[in-house]
Amino acid sequence: MAVLFEIFFMFAKLSLFSFGGGYVMFPILMREIETNGLVTMGELADIIVIAGMSPGAVAVNAAVGVGFKSAGLAGAMAAFLGIAIPCAVIVILVATFFFKVCKHYLVQSALYGLRPVITGIILYAAYKIGSGSGIFNSASEDMITPGWNLSIGSTHILEIKSIIIAIAAFILLTKTKIHPIFIIIGAGITGILVF
Amino acid sequence: MKFKEKIKLWSNIYFTFLKLGSISFGGGYAIVSLMEREVVEEKKWVDNETIVDIFAVAQSLPGAIALNSSAFVGYAIAGIPGSLIALMGNLTSPVIIILILSLIFSKIRDLPAIEAAFKGIYPAIVSLIAYAGYKIGKTAIKDITGFGMMLAALLISVVFKIPPIPLIIAGAVLGIILTASKTRISCRNETKKGRQ
Repeated sequence: MAVLFEIFFMFAKLSLFSFGGGYVMFPILMREIETNGLVTMGELADIIVIAGMSPGAVAVNAAVGVGFKSAGLAGAMAAFLGIAIPCAVIVILVATFFFKVCKHYLVQSALYGLRPVITGIILYAAYKIGSGSGIFNSASEDMITPGWNLSIGSTHILEIKSIIIAIAAFILLTKTKIHPIFIIIGAGITGILVF
Repeated sequence: MKFKEKIKLWSNIYFTFLKLGSISFGGGYAIVSLMEREVVEEKKWVDNETIVDIFAVAQSLPGAIALNSSAFVGYAIAGIPGSLIALMGNLTSPVIIILILSLIFSKIRDLPAIEAAFKGIYPAIVSLIAYAGYKIGKTAIKDITGFGMMLAALLISVVFKIPPIPLIIAGAVLGIILTASKTRISCRNETKKGRQ
């Protein structure tokens, strides 16, 4: 029972302090695991890979994985609640407040400046995933091998096969009404065929 | 709203977020594009501008972006119950998938087909997120100043790796300064629609 509380409070704490999304959680999670030894570092590395492979928020996935590895289904449940409860409480509090003040002149002008910034941040997220998965401008350890990599000197520019998939996906998203799920599945099948 | 209608709306919210949670590979930002499509275009639960504002706030709060934005959109549709239902819907399949994968991962981890499939999926995820930026930009960017701010945020992120929150705060402050004398209207409160 004690271990379940430990898991719950560890993830509640992580959930409360990870500003900037799930990936921010990993370094803190690693430090926590080092001190409490709930799972080994090797197990944690596997869990992070699984978390990235699965749909949904990476942080939640990793939390459930750690909970499950250290204390079975009950552990998974404790981790899940630890992540979900603070999130629900904070969002509900903020949302109540937000929908009351959002018509205010000052909030409106803040939003006017904030919306373009959000657009930029979302585009950056696309860049970051592309760069981290060997599609363009990647570090050598992230590069797709074997792949059709294009480099100038030691700077990686892009990997031709994945760029073609990315462009095709973008055109399908903008020009057709095909649901993104089919584009993702199609891309997966294309991956099996060309890589 | 009658109880029966409420149940109908709630289950509709649950299944919408169940679907979103099942296909949002690539973490928080991937869900932005999918959610925009489902919640704004198909179900028409919230309008274009409200969803951009929700993503802005969801990112500034602690915790996973996918969760925060699900809970926030759920709240906009149907208040506190909506928020909890959206959260549960969003989490159902990832949790089940994680449990299954934890059990079988060691056996499938090195299958070349799985690796190759993900090499194909990641470029599509990049486009999906870029597409979300493009769609949101259409509503979010109203003039050349806005375009400049978008570009600045993108370049500052790429070059200096500044995390989102300082950028968001800077954007808000700039917005207040730039509109010092103008009044802007919009931001319809769509919560009423769900609560009637």
